[in-house]
Amino acid sequence: MPCARYLVNTMPTASWVGFKMLKKTRPLRILLAKLGMDTHTVGITVIAHALREAGMEVIFTGLKQTPDMVAAAAVQEDVDVVGISTLSAGHTRSLPKLARLLREAGAGDKLLLAGGVIPEEDRQLLEDAGVDRIFTMGSDTRDIVAYLQEWWLNKSEPTEV
Amino acid sequence: MTAIADNINDLSRQILAGNIGAGARAIRWLDDGDPRGADVLSLIFPHTGRAHLIGITGPPGAGKSSLTNTLITEQRRRGRRVGVIAIDPSSPFTGGAILGDRVRMAQHTVDPDVFIRSIGTRGQAGGLSRSSHDACLVLDAMNYDVIFVETVGVGQDEIDVVALAHTTLIIGVPGLGDEVQAVKAGLMEAGDIFVINKADRDGYDDTYRQFELMLHLRAESVSRNEIDKTASAWSPPLLRAVAKRAEGTVEIVDATDAHREYLQNSGHFVKRSSHREREQFICLLREAVVDEIMEGMDEDILNSILRREIDPYTAASHELARWRGNTTS
Repeated sequence: MPCARYLVNTMPTASWVGFKMLKKTRPLRILLAKLGMDTHTVGITVIAHALREAGMEVIFTGLKQTPDMVAAAAVQEDVDVVGISTLSAGHTRSLPKLARLLREAGAGDKLLLAGGVIPEEDRQLLEDAGVDRIFTMGSDTRDIVAYLQEWWLNKSEPTEV
Repeated sequence: MTAIADNINDLSRQILAGNIGAGARAIRWLDDGDPRGADVLSLIFPHTGRAHLIGITGPPGAGKSSLTNTLITEQRRRGRRVGVIAIDPSSPFTGGAILGDRVRMAQHTVDPDVFIRSIGTRGQAGGLSRSSHDACLVLDAMNYDVIFVETVGVGQDEIDVVALAHTTLIIGVPGLGDEVQAVKAGLMEAGDIFVINKADRDGYDDTYRQFELMLHLRAESVSRNEIDKTASAWSPPLLRAVAKRAEGTVEIVDATDAHREYLQNSGHFVKRSSHREREQFICLLREAVVDEIMEGMDEDILNSILRREIDPYTAASHELARWRGNTTS
């Protein structure tokens, strides 16, 4: 059973300060997905890696997802953030639909992010539909990480003991 | 779908009614070590103990997720509601993780009778996370008939899942070493059902023979085991599968069904469950005590050990004595 190895929890370099921290961590959980027939995966893979490096739990659901699939997975995984990578259009229909489905599933409080190839003229439409933040081509992964960390800090503070 | 309740009582009722959002929230609390998780657990625990817990383990790349995907399909065909706990490794350096088991199970995402949850190991060795057991209880309370627990890719002795599950599937693949690997202690001793996946690959016949030999030797030693006579009543089947073509799925589910029946008829179903609860109880007790001891510990002791001034055994007994003194005074 797990506990037999309880003390192994401390990583080789960790003191028991690290040991306690490891036990008490509450990592941000983020679902990353691609909607529609878009099969360009480099961007989403780079983002996933950067977020993992920043200590976040990335739930990757794969390609060719529908808004219904993403909304269902977001509820099952109880993620804090949903991130959609889009590089081959269709986002003006699929993202508003996803935002609506999340609200209908009682998951409207999740942060909804979009990234990839998103023309400036679509920005207003997406934001009005419920997309919280858009990262377009050329965004620095460090900025995305910093944005999420700050959001998570603000969100967790009131309830944190 | 109704909103997830804020208070523990309503949330527990939602879980027992099968509300997916509520169950997902409780698992999050339990995974994060949020005290609300334990409160929920205390309310739903009386309603658990019914689901068939099936562990799926094997080396990385053996096709555990793909196989689980086909097993979900077959279980659904037999009219059962299915829960899945899919565990992937957390980074020991940053604590972050990329949990990708869902990718292979995407076809079941929108089925309301399938609940898939990805969990990171968060520093736990042994192939599971600390919260795996609790997550299974939540799914059990939500009335899922079958719960699959897919471990991280394991090596030779990360077999914690055996203590968790009623039925353990060991997934092997062709081409991972000779018969010496097969007869080593650990993983190969543990399974109730053995499956060689990717059976269309080169080396399948060799792997099959190695597994066969191992199971034969295992049967011999079990039949000589005077202590646990009951163990010999089940002889683990050796099955073949090609998960990507859904080959062998029906036979595997037949075997897990047969194993469940065997456990129930022999009284082992309850026995395995109570063994698991006992282990979990001891585990929680040990954690609580260790936490308490560490709470008041002087960090200089670690430094003394590092400087070789005191050995870890002596340091541990000193700390235990200090803690005892504190608790009795």
